[in-house]
Amino acid sequence: MSERDRRLEEAITRLREPVDVDPALQERVMRAVRTTPAPRRWVRPVWAAAAWIRRPRTVRVSPLQGLAAAAVLAAVWVGVGVVRPGATPPGTPDLGVASAGNAVQFVIVAPDADAVALVGDFNDWRGDVTPMSRAEGNGVWSVTVPLEPGRYRYAFLVDGGLWVSDPSAPPAPDDEFERPGSVVTVGET
Amino acid sequence: MRQRLLMAFLLAGAAVVAPAAQAQDARLAARVPAEAVAPIDAIVRSAQDAGLPTEPLIDRALEGASKRASADLIVRAVERLAGELRAARDAMGQRSSAAEITAGASALRAGADPEALTALRERRGTQSLLVPVAVLADLVAVGVPADTAIAAVTVLAAGFDDAQYIAFRRNVERDIGLGASPVSAIGVRLEATTDAFTSAPTPSAPTPRKP
Repeated sequence: MSERDRRLEEAITRLREPVDVDPALQERVMRAVRTTPAPRRWVRPVWAAAAWIRRPRTVRVSPLQGLAAAAVLAAVWVGVGVVRPGATPPGTPDLGVASAGNAVQFVIVAPDADAVALVGDFNDWRGDVTPMSRAEGNGVWSVTVPLEPGRYRYAFLVDGGLWVSDPSAPPAPDDEFERPGSVVTVGET
Repeated sequence: MRQRLLMAFLLAGAAVVAPAAQAQDARLAARVPAEAVAPIDAIVRSAQDAGLPTEPLIDRALEGASKRASADLIVRAVERLAGELRAARDAMGQRSSAAEITAGASALRAGADPEALTALRERRGTQSLLVPVAVLADLVAVGVPADTAIAAVTVLAAGFDDAQYIAFRRNVERDIGLGASPVSAIGVRLEATTDAFTSAPTPSAPTPRKP
């Protein structure tokens, strides 16, 4: 056994010997714990989140996912803070084809408008028959119209002179009269 | 050229008989430019005699009047629609409802051929064609090539109900809105739909073609 091995063996033997512990130690430790203020709980998650954000990582995105993400970003960029005639408020169901037996709700955002009317095949294209109501505090105009099964062309008439199509419905194809319009179909079954 | 000659004839005739003529529909006389009333009235009467729905013709005339279109433009639009209504009714059958015929006319305007409407009628049997034909027209309107839209709507005709057609159209339009090309959007949705139907005997999905 070399000198180095002998010293190592001696150290291990000492470490294996039982240690005399002061009987009051546990009491002193617990007293110290009770007097120490508890750490604020949010500090650790915040630091963890900050570290997570700073940590570089590789993200794999398919071309289709990238395209979708770009489209969403573009939509957000265009839509945030820009409310224009024709925009559809969030949560508005898309039109185009509605089930039978349901009244159809038409909605448009026109914050600067003084009056908006719904005109279409169902009211002889008269601007004075189906006025739309403005919700308090925003530029959302809406009206609900019971419609028989069929396919209808329609548009929004803003302030009596501006023709606006419905962004939540398919466009009316090939409008000979050179004004925007939309179509809605109410099913028979 | 032939159409223009006919238009000139109708308008000239209207100028002669307008004072004496009584429009069949009072709305026409009240709203449409005077020189257009008689020609449109003639088109409406002809359609009525042929058993076609006349309300869409009146509506189109009123739309033109509301949009302050010229008399010539309004007459031409009504005449064109009358031809489409007739072609749609002939393609879908004499028993077709007015709503079906109107939707069929929209599909023809969008680019569908009459044979597609006939094929849809054969596949749907006694079920209404209104929603499938409307979905066909709507898909074309959002950029799906007509032949691709026709193939998709026809393939789905045997197993789809109206609600499924509505969901299908919404999904395709949503995909297009997210940036997918119309052809790939309808291809993906059609594939998913036909996969769901694998337990039922359905025809194979058509191969989408580039526009």
